[in-house]
Amino acid sequence: MPTPTVIEARAVRRVFESRKGFLFTDVTRTEALRGVDLTVERGEIFGLLGPNGAGKTTLTKILSTLLIPTSGEAKVLGLDVVRQAAELRPRIGLVLGGERGLYYRVSARENLRYFADLFGVPLDQRAARIDEVLERVGLSAAADRRVEEFSRGMKQKLHLARGILHRPELLFLDEPTIGLDPKSARETRKLIRALIEDGVTIFLTTHYMFEAEELCHRLAVLSKGQIVARDTVAGLRRLVGGDRTIEVEAYGFEDEEIETVRRLPGVSRVVSEEFGPRLRLTLRIATSETTPDDVRAALASHAELTVRERPTQLEDVYLDLVEEEAN
Amino acid sequence: MAGAAPGFWRNFWANAVLSPRTTLGFMRIDFVLGTIFVIPLMQMAFFAFVVQLGNGSVAETAFVVVGNAVATVTYPSIFSVCQTTDSEKQQGTMEHLLVSPAPRFPLYVGRGLVPIGISLATVTVGLVYAFTVFGVPFHLSAVGPLAISVVLSAFAMVGFGLLLGGVALYLRTSIILGNIFLFIGLLFSGVNFPLSQFPGPVQYVGDLFPLTFAVDAVRDSIAGAPLRVLGLDWLYLSVSMAIAIGLALGLWRTFERRALTTGSIARF
Amino acid sequence: MATALPTGLAPSGLRSTWASVRLSVLQFLADPQWLIPSMIAPVIFGIVSFELVVGSGPYYLVYAILGAGMMSMWGQTLYGSGWATGQDREYGTLEPTIQAPSPYLYVVLGRVLWNVISGLIGGGIVYLVVVAAAGELPTLDNPLLFAGLFVFVMFTLASVGIVLAAFYVYTRYAGFIQNIGEFAFYVGTGCMFPVIFLPWWTNPVSLVFPPTWALDALRYASIPGYQGFGWGFGVDLAGAAGTTAVYLILAHQVFRRVERHVLEVGNLSEY
Repeated sequence: MPTPTVIEARAVRRVFESRKGFLFTDVTRTEALRGVDLTVERGEIFGLLGPNGAGKTTLTKILSTLLIPTSGEAKVLGLDVVRQAAELRPRIGLVLGGERGLYYRVSARENLRYFADLFGVPLDQRAARIDEVLERVGLSAAADRRVEEFSRGMKQKLHLARGILHRPELLFLDEPTIGLDPKSARETRKLIRALIEDGVTIFLTTHYMFEAEELCHRLAVLSKGQIVARDTVAGLRRLVGGDRTIEVEAYGFEDEEIETVRRLPGVSRVVSEEFGPRLRLTLRIATSETTPDDVRAALASHAELTVRERPTQLEDVYLDLVEEEAN
Repeated sequence: MAGAAPGFWRNFWANAVLSPRTTLGFMRIDFVLGTIFVIPLMQMAFFAFVVQLGNGSVAETAFVVVGNAVATVTYPSIFSVCQTTDSEKQQGTMEHLLVSPAPRFPLYVGRGLVPIGISLATVTVGLVYAFTVFGVPFHLSAVGPLAISVVLSAFAMVGFGLLLGGVALYLRTSIILGNIFLFIGLLFSGVNFPLSQFPGPVQYVGDLFPLTFAVDAVRDSIAGAPLRVLGLDWLYLSVSMAIAIGLALGLWRTFERRALTTGSIARF
Repeated sequence: MATALPTGLAPSGLRSTWASVRLSVLQFLADPQWLIPSMIAPVIFGIVSFELVVGSGPYYLVYAILGAGMMSMWGQTLYGSGWATGQDREYGTLEPTIQAPSPYLYVVLGRVLWNVISGLIGGGIVYLVVVAAAGELPTLDNPLLFAGLFVFVMFTLASVGIVLAAFYVYTRYAGFIQNIGEFAFYVGTGCMFPVIFLPWWTNPVSLVFPPTWALDALRYASIPGYQGFGWGFGVDLAGAAGTTAVYLILAHQVFRRVERHVLEVGNLSEY
């Protein structure tokens, strides 16, 4: 019986060192991960969100055996990512994406054939499996063209094809839809959902909130090398104070007015930001007691008042969490 | 404000100093020192021992040692200039250079400045080895002519490197060209044996490459040749340098157009 | 449910090596300009070598063939293997290849095999060029033994090439270090002249390299009266086999350590 937990990271820390100078070497240390704890369950799509430089790719590389943590421990599919990397590698797939990482001078099919051999795809299944993954990512027509002739999106699809070629149990996807046109991105998301139906667990990093919201069962937000929150999308909404958001705009608010709004029932969080010449208050509301009319009444002194209600988006949650961490 | 084409010197400086730092891996000081101090010594020793194997005379050893001291200039001149182009393609910065409004002359020629410096140092160190380690006879009165010969050689060879670097815009890599001309130099430029050993017209193949004139000029300088002979050597070197740089500019323009037409700029 | 490979079942080394040979050939064919130096270098080395040793004795042709052959094979076998790893860095393919379950050593082995084949073609060209320049065949008592040992020398070179390739995984600067060391290797292993020509104190360093032993054995076998180190053909052959074995074992260890090191440092994506 396979274990329900496929990724288990404890206090994972990673420090990068860069050296400059010849005689007097200047060493700069950057702490990319500062003690990450994480678990991912079998069969789920786990999303890792975070701003640029938060440590998402570093964590992905550590979990996929491409980087050794400075300290801490990580087990993937029950295997230690450092000590049992050789046993683990045939069972996981990694898609780092981007312009590089492919053999440009040979065809997409030849790239896949090479990696099929390195990943030990059974010889009698190799050709059919290559055709199958090319079909799944929509590259069948370009299978025999040299990769150097591919667009960025096609290269991204080929990365994905290589990642699933050996039928991994767990697939790491580092920003899989970056560089794809909307149609291809939608097809990729469809493929990711189909992989879940095949029983593959997916660990996904992305900058696209709608993508994470649409795909992920659970999410973690990584900021400055630390996980600042982890839960389902609904859970994260609750974490930042509610699944309703009311936005109020006017030409400035007094401090007392902001306090009044903050004291309204169910209001858990009030963020103010400049919005052109106006000031915007964003209210996270956990209950249904406070309505837009209540807010309007509380700020009745303003003639030019705009009040809108909308569901709290993952993007709101993300920004709240990252800003909170930054502050 | 919209960008304007940068001035000549600003452009030249950026390409002479900044570009090599980003595109030449060997700009690490330890590799530069290795190129200057180790390669000449080993290459000269290698051929000196081969002459010894063939029971060669002291004069033959001196011939080979000096020839190779000059030939080592190929590494910093041709290879490094070729490598800047290759690196720009691999890093994907070549396309950005080509869409920039920068005038092409300082853009391309500027890339030769650092290699010229390293070339000068390499040949100088090679010649010091020739006189001290391999015992090639040398008179102090030769210092002046030798200095002129070395400087002209470095400029001419880097000009030739720029010429090959231009082709790299179109080819996937120009390192191959660098290799070919390194070999051709060893064979047709009179580095290891007098060109008179070749039959008739083959003796003149080397006249297509500045290395042939560089080797002649340095050998004549060491031998204390009269100014009439040296003047002719320097004239040949200067002309070959001017032709190389002129052709280089033409080639860069031609291959720039060709690369943009075929899309080969993104291939490496 | 996905049908992943059974746990811990990495592909066979033979299959990975063959995949690597195949990809090397495809990449070589995709960029035919590499054919030019592969053909030109042996021709030029052959002529230079011939001109330098012509008239130096009855066996000058053997010296010319050996010297030029070694120089062109260095380029193909030693340099080529490491260079391909350097290219993996440039393409960004080093990361996915290292992440694959197959040890990277097998990938390198495939490249080395391909380079041995192309190196032997270079050696053949050298032979033809030198014979054409001299207008006569070399005096060889046992041509078959000469040919066999020539191939053996190539494998000793390949064993050094494998270890060198590890440095290309280790650092992006390996190519420059190898450039600097190229002529030092020619001198140290006596590819063109007997190592005994060198100062005695350099001999222990030379003997660390398998080609030094193998080349000496080759000269014993092809030049009557050849003295070399003076310990005879058998010792040279055993020394060559022994040091090659050491290099192959070393390669296994070096690759393990280097792979561990690059995963610790995190420089696989640097180029």
